[in-house]
Amino acid sequence: MSKKFIQRLGLKDKLLAIMVPLLVLAAWQGAVSQKLCSDLILTPPLTLLNTLVELAQSGDLTLNILASLKRVMIGFLLGGTSGFVLGILMALSPFLNRIFGPLIKALQQVPEFAWMPLIIMFLGIDESAKYFFVAIGAFYPMVLNTYQGVSGVPEKYHELARVFDYKSFRYLFKVIIPSALPSIITGIRLSLGLSWMFVVGAELFGSDSGVGYLMTWGRAVFQIDLVMAGLVLVGVIGFAMNLVLEIAEKRFLLWREPVDGRPA
Amino acid sequence: MKRLAISKKTKAILGGIAFPIVLTGLWQLFIFAGFSSARFLPPPFKVFQKFVILFSDPAYSQHIAVSLQRVMIGFFIGTLAGFLFGLLMGLSKTAEKIFAPFFHAVRQVPMIGWIPLIIMWFGMNELPRVLIISVAAFYPITLNTFSGVRNVPREYLELASVYGFKGLTLIKKIIIPAALPSIATGISLGLAMSWSVLMVAEIFIQTAFGVGTQIQKGRDRFDIALVIAGIITVGVLGYAMTVLVQKIVQAVERGRVISTEK
Repeated sequence: MSKKFIQRLGLKDKLLAIMVPLLVLAAWQGAVSQKLCSDLILTPPLTLLNTLVELAQSGDLTLNILASLKRVMIGFLLGGTSGFVLGILMALSPFLNRIFGPLIKALQQVPEFAWMPLIIMFLGIDESAKYFFVAIGAFYPMVLNTYQGVSGVPEKYHELARVFDYKSFRYLFKVIIPSALPSIITGIRLSLGLSWMFVVGAELFGSDSGVGYLMTWGRAVFQIDLVMAGLVLVGVIGFAMNLVLEIAEKRFLLWREPVDGRPA
Repeated sequence: MKRLAISKKTKAILGGIAFPIVLTGLWQLFIFAGFSSARFLPPPFKVFQKFVILFSDPAYSQHIAVSLQRVMIGFFIGTLAGFLFGLLMGLSKTAEKIFAPFFHAVRQVPMIGWIPLIIMWFGMNELPRVLIISVAAFYPITLNTFSGVRNVPREYLELASVYGFKGLTLIKKIIIPAALPSIATGISLGLAMSWSVLMVAEIFIQTAFGVGTQIQKGRDRFDIALVIAGIITVGVLGYAMTVLVQKIVQAVERGRVISTEK
């Protein structure tokens, strides 16, 4: 949505769109340098940039980003794959749907962060707890969207598959998955977006590496520039992940308008 | 025919509760077989007992009341601000051009990312908790109000100009009723987000009261029954709120009229 919006704007409008953030940045810098606001409370943009450069030079930046990305990937693969498989099974078998459908709906009512204390009690506060927590976030959108996509495969395709005598794996890979792909990709986007949010949450809860850790540490030593640098990183990386998927979606699904699949 | 319909429904209900019952049975068996100590995973019966104890103690209802109040205040502020902001951007192309890029950029940061900064700014008290809940509601309501207002059918606007509707009358009589379904979607999404972020707020920004606090307390005391009971409470309350808002939204939509009277 934001991308289409930018394309629609003319040059004059683009200038207008850049104006506001620039004004905010200038006011922000001005407020701090004029001592209207203590730099202990609000890091000026230039200092923030400096902090990011310093972090990059010391290698802390790459180290922590990689730590977070690794957790996202493992958790996302765990949760996304199980959601994908369960979604297909539930859509193809009414029996499994009756069993798991109500259970998933019931579990979904619980805000994911409420599981955090329980997960930590069971798994301890190390890596496996983080993977599991991220996997929970990745699971729901994947199972729901895969289910929706597969149960929405048109009857015509099923008939055609019967005519061609496609069975089991061939049926799954030639008919079901391609037809459900748009919905599945929406699931992947939502799922990855939530994974990123949850990894930051898991790291805020307790960890010794990652972008979330950078922020908790910044808070602990009252270095607000670190906290804000972390915030910028979280936003930029989340945006970049969504952008990559959006491009991939356009490649794979030329026939379809992309949907805005970002979680809030 | 009728008998079939009933039996189908019964079957669906039975199928729905069968798995949880089997799961509970397995859970109980697991403990009987001695695979896990009751301390680590309390039997279902213990969790039920915990529920009875919790609900006979007025303190627990107070925790629930505090959580509900917190979420309602935050949700209300977020809804009002999001509605006004979405309306402004929907009505004025200039406002959209000025604010939308900034809004979309800020929206890229997941809610949870703001927690450390918000704590540093406001400390561990009620304000940051309510603030983060209202921001969670603000995003979906702004987006949905905006798209609802932008997609008011052209015919309605033409009709309005025929009747000479302008300014507030136009907004009140035509634009808001026409955009209502989209706004309602935003409100349901916003409430779900608020409830979810309430847990973030209560667990990360420490406080003495709230259901999230109880879950956290259960963890500190290694009282797993309390943790599980808290999780179930949160789930049931969240579900009840979703259903309530859906009902209200349906009622409002049924009653909406795009009126041509001034």
